[in-house]
Amino acid sequence: MVKEIEVEPITRLEGHGGLRVVLGDDGKVQDVQFNITSTRFFEKFCEGRYCEHIPRITTRICGICPIPHHLTPTKAVEDAWGVKIPTPALKLRQLLMNAKQYSSHVLHFYALAAPDFLLGPMADPALRNVVHVINKMPDVGAMALKMMDFGQKLCAAIGGKSIHPISAIVGGMKKPLDEEIRDKFLKEIDEQIEFTKKTVDIGLKIVEDYWDVVANVGVVPTYYLGLTKNGVHDIYEGDIRIVNPEGNKIDYNAHKYLDVLGEHIPKHSYATHMYYKPAGYPEGIYRANCLGMINAADKMATPLADEALKAFRDKVGPVSHHTFAYHWARIIETVEAIELIKKYLEDPDICNPDCKTLDIEPREGQGIGVTEAPRGVLLYHIWSDAEGICKKLNLLVATNHNIAGIEKSLMHVAKQVFEDKILERLKLPDPWIK
Amino acid sequence: MIKNIEDNDNIVESRVKVAFLQSSDCWGCHQSLLNAHLGLLPVLPALEIVYWPCVVDFKYESLEKREDGEILVGFVEGSMRTKQDIEASKLMRRKCQLIIAFGSCSCYGNVHGLANQFSIDDLKNRKFLEVESIADYSNRIPDEHVPSFENKIVPLDNVIKVDAYISGCPPKPEQIISSVLFLLGQKPFPMNVSAFCNECSLNQSGCILDEEKICFGAITSTGCTMKCPENGKACVGCMGPARNVSSKIDKLNKITDDLNSISSGDKKNLYEFLTLFLNIPLMAGFDLAGDILKQIKNKGKVSTPLTNLPSAIEEVTSKLLQYLRDNKNFHEISNVCDTCSRIIGSRSTMTKVKRDYEGLPNLEECLIEQGYICMGPVTNAGCGAMCINVNAPCSGCYGQTKWDVNQSERFADTILKSFNVSISKEELLSQVKDHIGTFEKFTLASNKGYKGGE
Ligand code: SF4
Ligand code: SF4
Ligand code: SF4
Ligand SMILES: [Fe+2]
Repeated sequence: MVKEIEVEPITRLEGHGGLRVVLGDDGKVQDVQFNITSTRFFEKFCEGRYCEHIPRITTRICGICPIPHHLTPTKAVEDAWGVKIPTPALKLRQLLMNAKQYSSHVLHFYALAAPDFLLGPMADPALRNVVHVINKMPDVGAMALKMMDFGQKLCAAIGGKSIHPISAIVGGMKKPLDEEIRDKFLKEIDEQIEFTKKTVDIGLKIVEDYWDVVANVGVVPTYYLGLTKNGVHDIYEGDIRIVNPEGNKIDYNAHKYLDVLGEHIPKHSYATHMYYKPAGYPEGIYRANCLGMINAADKMATPLADEALKAFRDKVGPVSHHTFAYHWARIIETVEAIELIKKYLEDPDICNPDCKTLDIEPREGQGIGVTEAPRGVLLYHIWSDAEGICKKLNLLVATNHNIAGIEKSLMHVAKQVFEDKILERLKLPDPWIK
Repeated sequence: MIKNIEDNDNIVESRVKVAFLQSSDCWGCHQSLLNAHLGLLPVLPALEIVYWPCVVDFKYESLEKREDGEILVGFVEGSMRTKQDIEASKLMRRKCQLIIAFGSCSCYGNVHGLANQFSIDDLKNRKFLEVESIADYSNRIPDEHVPSFENKIVPLDNVIKVDAYISGCPPKPEQIISSVLFLLGQKPFPMNVSAFCNECSLNQSGCILDEEKICFGAITSTGCTMKCPENGKACVGCMGPARNVSSKIDKLNKITDDLNSISSGDKKNLYEFLTLFLNIPLMAGFDLAGDILKQIKNKGKVSTPLTNLPSAIEEVTSKLLQYLRDNKNFHEISNVCDTCSRIIGSRSTMTKVKRDYEGLPNLEECLIEQGYICMGPVTNAGCGAMCINVNAPCSGCYGQTKWDVNQSERFADTILKSFNVSISKEELLSQVKDHIGTFEKFTLASNKGYKGGE
């Protein structure tokens, strides 16, 4: 008899989905489906909108990473209309992106991932959550809350709202940061850097404790998608880089994305599957997100993060296929984010009122914007008419990039779990919280 | 500033069961709840969260297995895009005594309602068949183990009965916490013996009540800086109830006997009083007809969630709540402009409609008077004019203050009446090319008059 194991909803996942594992009567895994069960059709209902309104609509795609969904379409419209933005605006946007990266990664690590590791994956599901972590490890909990708070408050200060920001506009930013507010954040920055270092320690300890899991579960060779600027990790200005399973890197201009990134429509998921077009589907399935970014980068943009990258490479090699290395990659990115936040906060330009180009003319044309959202590359392709009304929109969002790769790794893990019974053999450490 | 209430034994008798559901949406409302961070900690011990899939490992069956009505409060986030959204919402309705439409998606449909301009086939075709990046010509629309789509997005209250609405995209963390605290009846007040009036500088002469205007000093506890009357403003009850009312209670009673004729300034004060004194949060269209209070207190009449109120105070507050129950449009009086610090009647005048990318507005004058479309005057208050604070116009995410009217025309009429605008209604409306996206971005699904794509 064929047995279907259904897990719905997949918890702690932003997006709506279920997981389905189909086992044959021989106990072999026949199929793994990651069913994303909703979509809202932004691609269609943005048609007819003023192009400059789109960044205030698409934020609603994701409440965890609304900032890239605000800035990326703004970049796309600027590209379509040929608009250049002043340097202070660019720096403000970089600061905003990194503030989001920081709070989102910290949230992911402490609220979504750490409960499994700190309590152990076999702990009572009702307790395996961030609230329990806060109760049991109050120091770590308080630190995590302060980190998220710092990032979110900085997002709110620049973006106007931390969730669904509004301050970017075609041509720049609506308002620079007030000096007084900037000073408040500057006062806290060194403490935040200390917190980040502590988080690195916790993360590395977890990696060490769970090394057996990291090195043996879900090690799946795929392609990777990341963004770099001249080889350097860059979440706002980077361009497309593909890493093949052997670790070779190929750079592409985002304007050529249709030659590089292909969408496959699966029968069982409303989130489409992306793949590297030259390699075809499913061979070209890639993974994005922090591991993609880290695999793509030759170098991090800041010194501490670059050290962390080197340590990572020493341990896992030039390209990591370890699904559980996502957590480590995320920590490296967190370090870079806080270092960049410090750099930009110390730059007087972020308080410079010259943050918006004043003369802007809409024109007919297409524009592309690409950035790295905390869950993966985000690409907007906007068609504008002569009046600046959106004729068409295409988006590739993080979920699209990740979903096929996740399914592929789940297939692998399901085989390991159900066929090889790997859970019985894995060396799991004593949980930190019992 | 505020000390803990002394006799608070019966504030939290037992933990209250709550459940959270996400429908088709962005997660932002829940992220906003999480953003409350430390603010959440005092609330958490009073809650027993029985379903919260975005944060806690609970499976759908665990909700199905609960007794009907076992959960006190259910928060439903998100818009009704799929059959699964509809079914899960109905399940929540069965399992929860109170349902709160949590966020503008469930209150109004949000931007997802813009899809109502198109047929469901047009939507699906664009996404699954036509998009430029589709590369392997699979030519299919997913249909295996995925729920089907609803033809049109409707607000949650078209699907199930809703008891209260917390609007906002997302609602602010403070708003969510105050809603939860309100439901738990848990706000701490000093409850001093003496009422505010007794120390008020206007007590002997110039009393606000003497002008037939509302002031809540007679029932409010002392303990504040007493600044309001000095600045000519009525007491709106920040400090909560006093143990003893002042002798001015009769006058207050008389004025509150007929709330239907109070001025708009008094309504504003009443609004603040509800929030500050009765701790009724900024829920747009807060629907007391759903008898939220009754269910909490298990009493027949409308009563406040505050415990141990002196009967004279109970009498006044009951009247206010009755009024609120009978006047669902009460919240109309409060819009984003009421909370915006910009000058209306400034030196600028709208002479043509500017697009948002044009120029850069100054930070002092009303954006409308500088030529931009700002939805502030027709949008529910609650956010504190967040967008305008960073120089971006309001786009209406807290929902419209009035329904069942042509929103473009209502906007035009409103601003022509109260703002420096020197173009005609026709010119104004013809200069805006995208009416739906400009005036109904968040609320199209709630517009009953809109027929939309076939
Ligand atoms: S109301 Fe806004 S923040 Fe809340 S789920 Fe909907 S889109 Fe997201
Ligand atoms: S219209 Fe906008 S800018 Fe003007 S007062 Fe109202 S909210 Fe403020
Ligand atoms: S100003 Fe308007 S759009 Fe902005 S948060 Fe407030 S209600 Fe929403
Ligand atoms: Fe797409």
